[in-house]
Amino acid sequence: MSRLRAEGLTLGYDAEPIVRDLDVTILDGKVTAIVGANACGKSTLLRGLARLLRPRQGSVLLDEKAMAGLSTLEVAKVLGLLPQSPLAPDGITVADLVSRGRYPHQGWFRTWNDRDHDAVARALDATGTADLVDRPLRQLSGGQRQRVWIAMALAQDTDLLLLDEPTTYLDINHQVELLRLLRTLNAQAGKTIVAVLHDINLASRYCDHIIAMADGAIVAEGAPSEVITAELVAKVFGLSCVIVPDPIAGTPIIVPAD
Amino acid sequence: MTATATRTSAATAAALRAARRHRAVRAFAATTGLTAAVAALFVLTMMVGSFRLTAQEVVTSVLHLADVPSVDFVVRGLRLPTALSALTVGLALGASGTVFQQLLRNPLASPDFVGITSGASLAAVSGIVLFQVGGLAVCLLALGGAVTAALVMYLLAWRDGVSGYRFILIGIGVAVFFEGLTGYMLIKAELFEARQAMHWLTGSVGQASDQELKLLGGALVVLLPLAVILSRKLRVLELGDDTARALGSRVELTRAALLATAVLLVALAVAVAGPIVFVALVAGPIANRLLGPATGGIVAAALVGALLLLSADLVAVHLLPTALPTGVVTGAVGAPYLLWLLATTNRKGAGG
Amino acid sequence: MSTPTVRARRALALGPGLAVLGVILALVAFLSITLGSRDIGLSDVLRALAGLDGSSIEHTVTVEMRVPRTLLGVLVGAALGVAGTVLQGVTRNPLADTGIMGVNSGAAAFVVLAITVLGVRGVNVYIWFAFAGAILATLLVYVIASLGREGATPVKLALAGAAVTAGMGSLTTGIVMTNVDALNELRFWQVGSLAGRYAPILSGVAPFLIAGLIASLACGRALNGLALGEDTARGLGQRVGLTRAAAFAVVAVLAGAATAACGPIVFVGLIVPHLARFICGPDYRWILPYSMLLAPIVLLLADVVGRVVAAPGELQVGVVLGVLGAPVFVGIVRYGRLSEA
Repeated sequence: MSRLRAEGLTLGYDAEPIVRDLDVTILDGKVTAIVGANACGKSTLLRGLARLLRPRQGSVLLDEKAMAGLSTLEVAKVLGLLPQSPLAPDGITVADLVSRGRYPHQGWFRTWNDRDHDAVARALDATGTADLVDRPLRQLSGGQRQRVWIAMALAQDTDLLLLDEPTTYLDINHQVELLRLLRTLNAQAGKTIVAVLHDINLASRYCDHIIAMADGAIVAEGAPSEVITAELVAKVFGLSCVIVPDPIAGTPIIVPAD
Repeated sequence: MTATATRTSAATAAALRAARRHRAVRAFAATTGLTAAVAALFVLTMMVGSFRLTAQEVVTSVLHLADVPSVDFVVRGLRLPTALSALTVGLALGASGTVFQQLLRNPLASPDFVGITSGASLAAVSGIVLFQVGGLAVCLLALGGAVTAALVMYLLAWRDGVSGYRFILIGIGVAVFFEGLTGYMLIKAELFEARQAMHWLTGSVGQASDQELKLLGGALVVLLPLAVILSRKLRVLELGDDTARALGSRVELTRAALLATAVLLVALAVAVAGPIVFVALVAGPIANRLLGPATGGIVAAALVGALLLLSADLVAVHLLPTALPTGVVTGAVGAPYLLWLLATTNRKGAGG
Repeated sequence: MSTPTVRARRALALGPGLAVLGVILALVAFLSITLGSRDIGLSDVLRALAGLDGSSIEHTVTVEMRVPRTLLGVLVGAALGVAGTVLQGVTRNPLADTGIMGVNSGAAAFVVLAITVLGVRGVNVYIWFAFAGAILATLLVYVIASLGREGATPVKLALAGAAVTAGMGSLTTGIVMTNVDALNELRFWQVGSLAGRYAPILSGVAPFLIAGLIASLACGRALNGLALGEDTARGLGQRVGLTRAAAFAVVAVLAGAATAACGPIVFVGLIVPHLARFICGPDYRWILPYSMLLAPIVLLLADVVGRVVAAPGELQVGVVLGVLGAPVFVGIVRYGRLSEA
């Protein structure tokens, strides 16, 4: 049984659908990476799973209930999403931003209580951003900023967390740091995590499960060591390569062939 | 290890609590200060003039604590309507402006700029020029014009949802269209009507009738609390449509509700006082400067709006050699303050 | 991602497009010379332009009124379009307009002051005051916005512009409401029109406009950098402060001279940049020349329509721009795909 899955999902913005008749199951308690070339529909799929995009056909099921029929607040208590380029108002402080993640847990008049407080503090601690609470977001480095955004999504306190290209614009050190953070969240809080990632080597190293997409369809999925093959890379990215094992973890690494 | 974690967590909780407390204290102090300033100015505008009164006389008369016919005539009959008009119009403009700016994520997106005020102006000027109406009829026409303009903009901007950027662009297009027609009306009008129209277009708080004030006052009682309640949803909408939706906000519905509230506020204000520029534009940024960045306090912005209009009225009527419509002076009163705020951007770099 | 091939393909399409616009502008300019409230036959126009028959009224109208008016329309239109483009680029705000940067209000305030304090009369004289006022106001906006730690950020520019505009506007209205003479003169200037602007005004402002237009073409690359945000621009090795200052100087000269000559003309500077972006995409090296040609086409067309529709009188160009131009613009926003830049 899986908490989040899609059946016959077709998604698109204009006339042409981008994702066609797709079935996918997100494994509970795992870290899943969605990989693929630019414009293969991976971000679209993520947006569809997070009900930011209404399905043309098919449905997304959350706890076996069609998400389209659930109230947005109900969904937001179970499933969080960090968009690719979130906006922040000018001058907002870290404390303020992370606190806004508590929105789905607050009512019309009930504004703030100890549970909110604890959730925000935990999110700050988990992401190592506790020292930044008074700082304006704008003054932070790219890596710090991304961790603050993740803290906001964590403050939402959901079992499932979807992230759209969280490592973009980060240097290698911060990319690794961020993926380790996702692993920790998965291990300690048991969160199910789905992230759209660009770097297959990092995805193989830090994720349990990989979904490879091309042209709006899933071409392969499974554990990194099973999925990442030279044929797949050729098919998905059009790159001829050799796969070697990671000297530390033994996970597959792509090395360009020529 | 666990102990460390708990200790860190406690420290974090404390830091977070301190940050929130600091913010709350600052918001409270700023709002209280603004309220006091507005109250003081409200009384002051009724004290000065050719017939000078003490604060005590004004307050007793306004609150009907004692009846002194000569004082009551000056206060209740002459000065209170203007003061009330400045207060209510200022509150409405301030609140509306800041909602627009936050909703559309653009500091220039005040209702003056995106076509709502120009819709009111076109309707009012048409009424004055074509049908020679005045008083309440002009007020209602302006109200209708503003609301219609907003509806037209919303419908034109709708395409599978309303993006802020598209709304702004449509808004300027609509504004230019209405302004062109208004200009045409003014050219074609007889001199007498043209002058009347020009006067209305300058904006003044001195001409509101009792009915108009009751209308605006009643609306404020409903709309201002509504705006404050909705502002919590605005905090989430500010993070972008995707994040807001992920956090469980019904984006289009919330945006429509906020827009409707802000449009009604500005429409009523313009209907009562004419298009007084600048107040809606600067009230929000000034309030944010006082409260701290990105706080978006609607009450504070409303109070700043009232403060601006009350002082503008004071200057326009009493400090200048000839009495001028309020709309002439709002800029002169507000601009230096805004400039000072800009120049003293706080050194932490948290300005904006 | 603009790979070399994409860029080359775009240049292939946009280059000829520029030439087409040039031809359209020439046609519109010719239209502007031949059409007007006084009915002058095509042959008479051509004879007048060729310098034959120098004594006739047709000759006088054509050479002394319509030709300067058309030339001024071309220059002023181009100046406003380019000034708007540069300003929107520098402030990264699609609402930025020369009006909001204090140009119009500064010019108006100085016209009024010149009339009341110095007793100046006549458009020919006070365009120089208008010019000075416009430049001064823009400068003031820039200096105020530059105060504080972070320099002239887009938000501070917008707010400083609004403040200066409001302050200057109050000064102007204040004087005008107490001085009927000034009101009368200002009303004439403030109409925003190409009418009644003849050779002396044209020769007065033309050098500034031409210099500003040439300088603006050098801004394209810098604006492209700024469009990515200050940090990125800095990362690309750009000196952001210097770029902003230079761009502002160009805007001040262009918009100041244009406004001085023709009064405040709205819409062109605000909306032409969006049209240009709609055609060219986000590259300012293309947007700038497109704005430079599109804006005078729009302005002259509106002017011609105003003359034809209301003959024997004429409709101000501002009215025509609003009533005809705005719906077209709204249509483009609604059905086109405008890039958010």
